[in-house]
Amino acid sequence: MGKVTGFMEFERHDPGYRPVVERIRDYRAVEIRLTESEVKEQAARCMDCGTPFCHGCGCPIENVIPEFNEHVYQGRWKEALDILLSKDNFPEFTGRICPAPCEGACVLGINKDPVTIRQIELSIIEKGYELGYMKPSLPAVRRKEHVAVLGSGPAGLAIADTLNHAGYGVVVYDADEKPGGILRYGIPEFKLEKWVVDRRIHLMQAEGVVFENRVRVGDDISYHYLQHRFDAICLAGGAREARDIKVPGRDLKGIHFALDFLVQQNKRLGGERVEPGTEILASGRNVLVIGGGDTGSDCVGTSIRQGAKSVTQIEILPKPPPNRSASTPWPMWPLKLRVSSSHLEGCTRRWSLATKEFLGKADAVQGVRAIEVEWVTPTGGGRPILVEKSGTEFVLEADLVLLAMGFTGPERNKIVEGLAIKTEPNGVIWRDQRNMTNIPGIFVAGDMTQGASLVVRAMRDGRQAAAGIAAYLEAKHGSRT
Amino acid sequence: MVLISGYDGGTGASPLSSIKHAGAPWELGLAETQQTLVLNHLRGQVRLQTDGQIKTGRDVVVAALLGAEEYGFATTALVVLGCVMMRKCHSNTCPVGVATQDPCLRKLFAGSPDHLVNFFTFIASEVREIMAELGFRTIDEMIGRSDCLEMNQAITFWKAQGLDFSRILYRPPGDSPVRCVTKQDHELDCAMDLELIPKVKAAMETSKPVSLEHSIRNVNRTVGTMIAGQVAKKYGHKGLPEDTITMRFTGSAGQSFGAWCARGMTLILEGESNDFLGKGLSGGKIIVKPFAGATYASESNIIAGNVLLYGATCGEVYLNGAVGERFAIRNSGATAVVEGIGDHGCEYMTGGRVVVLGHTGVNFGAGMSGGLAYIYDEHRIFDARCNLDMVDLELVVSEADQAELRGLLEKHVRYTGSLKAKRILENWEDQLPYFIKVFPMEYRRVMGQMMREDEATERAEVIHG
Repeated sequence: MGKVTGFMEFERHDPGYRPVVERIRDYRAVEIRLTESEVKEQAARCMDCGTPFCHGCGCPIENVIPEFNEHVYQGRWKEALDILLSKDNFPEFTGRICPAPCEGACVLGINKDPVTIRQIELSIIEKGYELGYMKPSLPAVRRKEHVAVLGSGPAGLAIADTLNHAGYGVVVYDADEKPGGILRYGIPEFKLEKWVVDRRIHLMQAEGVVFENRVRVGDDISYHYLQHRFDAICLAGGAREARDIKVPGRDLKGIHFALDFLVQQNKRLGGERVEPGTEILASGRNVLVIGGGDTGSDCVGTSIRQGAKSVTQIEILPKPPPNRSASTPWPMWPLKLRVSSSHLEGCTRRWSLATKEFLGKADAVQGVRAIEVEWVTPTGGGRPILVEKSGTEFVLEADLVLLAMGFTGPERNKIVEGLAIKTEPNGVIWRDQRNMTNIPGIFVAGDMTQGASLVVRAMRDGRQAAAGIAAYLEAKHGSRT
Repeated sequence: MVLISGYDGGTGASPLSSIKHAGAPWELGLAETQQTLVLNHLRGQVRLQTDGQIKTGRDVVVAALLGAEEYGFATTALVVLGCVMMRKCHSNTCPVGVATQDPCLRKLFAGSPDHLVNFFTFIASEVREIMAELGFRTIDEMIGRSDCLEMNQAITFWKAQGLDFSRILYRPPGDSPVRCVTKQDHELDCAMDLELIPKVKAAMETSKPVSLEHSIRNVNRTVGTMIAGQVAKKYGHKGLPEDTITMRFTGSAGQSFGAWCARGMTLILEGESNDFLGKGLSGGKIIVKPFAGATYASESNIIAGNVLLYGATCGEVYLNGAVGERFAIRNSGATAVVEGIGDHGCEYMTGGRVVVLGHTGVNFGAGMSGGLAYIYDEHRIFDARCNLDMVDLELVVSEADQAELRGLLEKHVRYTGSLKAKRILENWEDQLPYFIKVFPMEYRRVMGQMMREDEATERAEVIHG
């Protein structure tokens, strides 16, 4: 381990964000990075636990965290990078946008502040690029089998990267203008700058991965074409079907799904065409974001940057406690009040509010009738039930409403429908232990099968699917190239 | 009591290789021990204990059915108190305050006795449930009933098909007891001390020196310990003035000669001793020398057994001969002069002085964090035999060290008549370079700090005084 008593000597230091007045005028990354000496000091806080919960319990991709922390403390960036890349295909993404379940499971977090694992990870990968270690690495042996990956989000990229390094030829298809999926179009620029995505895509292209964009499978190419050309196909289309709210006034103008709003802004910044007449802009408007999660928070930040008059975010669940709730003890992912950089930029947050009706005049939304709710645990246990508090109804003014209440599952997909691929009752796609669907040779990974979740979980699932595909192809063709 | 300690356990301070890959399952050892003891009609006289990742009531029941009547819990009990299996018990940096002496970290300890009570209540109720299923009313009825165990038929893994459990589950026939039914007779009423106490009673009460002589045999165990107990009861750790009770023995002493010997007691043995001499030595003086008229060279004669001075806290031991393994382990303050030792000398020693005037075995000074050892390294091989993880080796250069060493050798000559020590003293200047000082790094750090603090105090006194 780096420094035995490091955790007793140094406090956690979060570099924080750029000043609000400065950052809301641009879309550049808000988070400040640790300096080299700071990151070494933070790495020294790692205790190299005998049972590293960060690695074994917290991190979905089982990053070997104590080991890279030691190398960082000792200044051995190459070794740290090799360890990091052994588990994490894209540390530059997770280092920026992962909510860091590893830190929730950090042993130091039991009674102190956990190690700044995410920032350390980011420093390692950026140092790797800076020092020129991130050169294209080609597989020693090219296999004859080819795999098509449908979707270029975090899961699709992880499958492509893993299989490509294992020697398989990979083509990634995506319906959008450029590859990256939710990384490029969903996550705002101020959290993940798109040059970071481009850099990785270029690296993967140099390593032999082929990206085919603006291709909608089923419309532009057929499943039969893919079946003839490829030895395996993996679906990684994500879960973009947004949860809707069925209350009166839902058809009023000015009510949009959060992702439509976020994608449009990302396209605008990326120089892509936004269909005239479909623009969703928050400038000069009173914005109401329904849904208190990360997508909602992204809407808050984006609205503020577009120049919204006011931004309010409401959530149906009660306000979480400021510190780890007793219901999620260490090493579980802590339930607690999370304040994002966007929340600090000026918005009103309210909890325990349900939406009863959208109010409007001349087809345009003008407000929302909301009611305070309580969550009551039924006598005899079970999940808490929502109870409206009568007489607490009130009207929130809003002329732009963004619905960020989560995602219900994958969008309609011609392959899934055409081949009658088996789905689970909740709409996600069924898979076996190898991530294969009920159609042999067709695999599935990421949110499409696990439901909307974190980038890091999509990557984990992608790695798992890649292993399943490799095992399938080896069984089918033998392990010889 | 016989303890069968399984391989699944291991202290948090041990290396992963030992935790994972050393030892055998307790089930094997326990079954074999139980069967052997029962077949030899010895089981009734001992208690059988087992440990090694015992975590559940089911583990307890399996252990009982295989023959154990005592069950050791360590990991789970610690986890109940907040242990997170950091495996840093040896670094004093336990972040949950379980295994640390650091006051700041100890404040973070979040356990409570109630947690343990709760845990063991759960264990007990699970045991009770399984007992009810099996139809047992008491644990005693269960012990050794391996006929109640059978192989899990649900294990379908191909490798398991070839396993034959019949020898583990074998139950020796006959009506020989299968659990401890007799209390052990330690034959304390035959102890030599009972004979000696009346003779030294006056000295103990008046502090007037007494000297007595007695022959000794190897059946005489823990000679002097009862007297030490009486001294301690009356005077506490302070004991009596030096040499108040002098006892001279001739013969071959049994185990634990002079164990816990108190201040003011001097035990002089002419002959030899078994293992554990001076165990827990608490201020007394023990001198062992060969029989008068012995023709052999004392330094090549093994004069006492293994594990001498185990856990000694203070006192002096002079041994005119070589001794066995694990000499002075866990010594925290006693002084000893010996003419040769076996392996693992001074292991885990935390204080005191040890002088070895000859051969040492391997792994000397493993885990040694305090005290000093001086080794007379005639053949220049000591550095290869010493475990250098925690100690530095250097020559005896400082005048204070030289004076201390010389003083100890002079005493050794005076008490035992050692020829070897005498020869060294006669050529002191020439022989001194052959001595190696074993200096624990941790001890040096603390000493350095103390000296700096003293200097700081002195400076402060100069300034303010």
